Amino acid sequence: MTQHPATEFSLTTVSAPSTLIVRVAGELDYDTSDELVDTVAAGLARAPAPRHVRLDFAALTWIDSMGLSALLMVHRHTRAAGAALYLDNRPDVLERMLGHTNVLDHLTAPVTQDAPGPPKEGDVTGAVVS
Amino acid sequence: MTLPIQVSRLRERLWRAVVDGDEYSAVRIAHGALAEGIEEETLLLDVIARVQEKVGTEWAADRISVAQEHAATAINERVVAALAHRPDGGPYRQGHRGRVTVGCVDGEWHAFPARLVAEILRLRGWQVDYLGAQTPTPHLVAHLHRTNPRAVLLSGSIPTHLPTAHAAITACQAVGVPVLAGGRAFGPLGRYAFALGADRWAADARGAAAALEAELPHPDPAAVRHIVDDLPHLADQEYTMVVQSRGTLVKQTLRDLEDRFPALREYSDEQRERTAEDIAHIVDFLATALYVDDAEVFTGFLLWTAEILEARSVPAVSLVSGLDALSDRLRDFPRTLNLLREGTTALLERAHSPAHGPGPDLHV
Amino acid sequence: MGRAVCVPPLVCASPSSFADPRDAGVNVGATWGDAPYPVLVIDRDGALVGLNAAARRLLPRGNGEGTRRHLVPSWLSAAHRRLTERAAGTVTAPLTGEIDERRYEAHATPSEDGAVVWWLIDDTDRRVAEAALYSSQERVAVLSAVSSRLLSTLNVPRCAEATVSMAAEHLAEAAVLVLPPQGRRHTLTHARRGHPVQRVVRRIDPRTVQGLAEALQGFPPVPARWIDPDGLPDWVIPEGFTGPVGSVIVTPLPGHGVPAGALILLRSGTERAFTEGEEVFARLFAARAGAALSAARLYTEQTAITATLMRELLPPALHTVDGVEYAGQYRPAGDEERVGGDFYDFHPGSESAQETLVVLGDVAGKGLDAAVLTGKIRNTLHALLPLAGNHDEVLRLLNGALLTTQHTRFATLVLASVRRQDDRVHVRLTSAGHLPPLIVRRDGSVEEVPTRGTLVGALPEISSVGAEAVLGPGETCLLYTDGITEARGGPLGDEMFGERRLRRTLAECAGLPAEAVVERVQMLAAQWIGAGRHDDMATVAVSAPAKVPPGSADREGAGEHGGRRK
Repeated sequence: MTQHPATEFSLTTVSAPSTLIVRVAGELDYDTSDELVDTVAAGLARAPAPRHVRLDFAALTWIDSMGLSALLMVHRHTRAAGAALYLDNRPDVLERMLGHTNVLDHLTAPVTQDAPGPPKEGDVTGAVVS
Repeated sequence: MTLPIQVSRLRERLWRAVVDGDEYSAVRIAHGALAEGIEEETLLLDVIARVQEKVGTEWAADRISVAQEHAATAINERVVAALAHRPDGGPYRQGHRGRVTVGCVDGEWHAFPARLVAEILRLRGWQVDYLGAQTPTPHLVAHLHRTNPRAVLLSGSIPTHLPTAHAAITACQAVGVPVLAGGRAFGPLGRYAFALGADRWAADARGAAAALEAELPHPDPAAVRHIVDDLPHLADQEYTMVVQSRGTLVKQTLRDLEDRFPALREYSDEQRERTAEDIAHIVDFLATALYVDDAEVFTGFLLWTAEILEARSVPAVSLVSGLDALSDRLRDFPRTLNLLREGTTALLERAHSPAHGPGPDLHV
Repeated sequence: MGRAVCVPPLVCASPSSFADPRDAGVNVGATWGDAPYPVLVIDRDGALVGLNAAARRLLPRGNGEGTRRHLVPSWLSAAHRRLTERAAGTVTAPLTGEIDERRYEAHATPSEDGAVVWWLIDDTDRRVAEAALYSSQERVAVLSAVSSRLLSTLNVPRCAEATVSMAAEHLAEAAVLVLPPQGRRHTLTHARRGHPVQRVVRRIDPRTVQGLAEALQGFPPVPARWIDPDGLPDWVIPEGFTGPVGSVIVTPLPGHGVPAGALILLRSGTERAFTEGEEVFARLFAARAGAALSAARLYTEQTAITATLMRELLPPALHTVDGVEYAGQYRPAGDEERVGGDFYDFHPGSESAQETLVVLGDVAGKGLDAAVLTGKIRNTLHALLPLAGNHDEVLRLLNGALLTTQHTRFATLVLASVRRQDDRVHVRLTSAGHLPPLIVRRDGSVEEVPTRGTLVGALPEISSVGAEAVLGPGETCLLYTDGITEARGGPLGDEMFGERRLRRTLAECAGLPAEAVVERVQMLAAQWIGAGRHDDMATVAVSAPAKVPPGSADREGAGEHGGRRK
């Protein structure tokens, strides 16, 4: 019997002009983390390439170290593509993990090259050098 | 000084050292005893094992704390280790009799009895692989494939591990290795050991050594058994249902108890959690009794718990209420209801028997 | 199948007529006379009074005249007597007996005058077929028993034992299994029916048994009749096998690709020789045994390799060094596994003034993949030991060593450098993205060590802030992984063990030896989980002993207890 209603893992991709939004729901862990990396990589590969990648964690219920590893990999992809990464609506579990491991600043560090447009209103983390 | 007097004095000295958390004195006492000519087997079984037993009964009677109990056990373990690893290695350690495996059922943390058995068998000339506490069954089976022992000695102290023990017994026999079960979990005279198909049962370390020396026949591995072959009553699915709904049962029972005793709502989180744990234990033992189809697993646990609770000035009547609430939730399970009834009867009889005398809190 | 089916249609229910019901008018004599079955007419007194051509050809001749020249076999005469002594007219069930090495079934048809017409039906072939069928069923049963018994074990000696004992039980009086040589020595397993199996490792020359050298190379078996039983060397004959060997089968045990050995089957001269059918059966048996043996051998080799590789990855045994107690426990996520992504290591200082380095950490991922990375981390840290005085530097170098463009699999860890001074234990701690260590004081209060830093292995730059702690007698510092705090279960089934419960558990551990602290934390977390799934769980405790060994309390620096193992 499953005691806690395990939210099914899902990724929803929303493409706006110059922005790729991926909503992450459920548990980002050993079994699901590769999917996130692949989704973002595919989103970055399209033309024109997005300048911003926003991961929306409002419906994230759990993240483990493989999930965090996936976020680090996503960041490598966004940086290589010159896009800025934003981690929106972070739940406690993610906040705690980013805190312990001391990687929040790194993940949301401004992209070094010229990136167009300021961050969207309501952005909780990132800052982008314009 | 006669041997019994010598032994009982040693026991007293060791008990004092162990309960003081004084490892160095404890080890010194043990080495001293050997130097005085006490047999190592006598030291292990009639001194150290008895002291360890007392650790358990003193904890149950609330005369020593959990911390003292743990410290005492740790020290006793170190004493045994110090004896085993002393430089001269003691007599007969060649392992000329053959190889055997000693381990605990998965989930079983009380490794001390198994450790003693391992040491006694070594003294008696067996080559012993001691796998320690809570051996996962896949590890046990892999070990058997690798070492091809004459027998497995499987130790269990807590009856709730009996279903796991059953799986382990069947797995060992399926690779053709006979199983000798031992420890309190297997019930009076090893009743549950035989119900679960163990090849032999031994009451204590000496009994285990004697059973091994009498040769155990290898089970026929071709006769693969299913759980239901040993325990046909499991076909009614009551065990499975109770195990699967454990969390829900505990939650509901907790809620029912709060309705009956509004004072429970004033409990702190920690008190509530302790109560939930008590209910969970009741459910676990109930499930185990369903598994082996024997009420004594359940009533024995309840009577023991009543004693533990009363030693800590908690009214044992709360147990009866817990059983009551569970009965309401398990109305569709005849075998389960029967066990709950027997449990209630046992608790009430105990409360009314002059030996125990109802405590002042019982009528609250 | 009922026997009645074998009764020819000519034999009808009417005792007075032998007529074919389809041809009632035909002369009786002519009918049975032409029957393809031998037919005998024996009168009330047991005299042979008539027989047809088929019977004439069959029955042996004596010295008598006419029909009396033919001898009625004794089993038929006896049956005839029994029949005539009973009430006339009763039809008895057919009897069987042998004539000239063939078996006949005799059907009696008594007539009213007391004579009996005996029809003899040759059922030799049916019996042979039935026997063959029975024995082939038995063989199938034997083969299936052999398979399940052999496949139940993955231990080579036990498998060999089972092979020879079953061969001796079902195929021969004695059996010898010769395993491929290890060096120049072969393992021989002998069995004699009804006796314990014996195993010996010795030098033999396989060429001294015809067909054995070939069988060990996997060549097809030499027919049994070619093998001279007299020429067998002594090592083939099991202890206690009496009498000369009468016949021998040598058959290869085909393995997976490579031969798994050869089986020698023996029968003494007093027994019948092996038949061709038995040789075929022996080959089938050998095929099953060979498959099981090579599976066992493969498993043994694999476990040996795994064990060797695993040895480096298993957590080390911790012990007391310089009067400081260290204890650790590790439980991998899977019951089948021994290693995983959590790890700890232990490097006692080479002299008592030097710090002991303890590390506990967690690699992202699980199973062997993760374990291999923990091995790399432990090796790197070992190499960096001379720099252990500076945790920042160690972590920076470790980070550099782990960084790769391939993946972002990172590790979090805590470094603890421990040194005893008088009865106090000084600990320098640095966390690299790991859960902060906890300290339980003598009074049961629990503190978090304020160290934090970046995980290692994923970012080009990392930073960390270390902390120092002092443990008084009976105080413990606990390093642990998130497998403990994130353990799910409890009485309600769905709660996390959490830091709160961990702190409560620790509060009860004030004054306990390090081993007992670790044991208690692991036990409570494991019981919390129950039968549920869990992650790797690791804990290491560093304790200042509550009681100092006598004689070392007054000593400056380190105590003597526990010793230093290199």
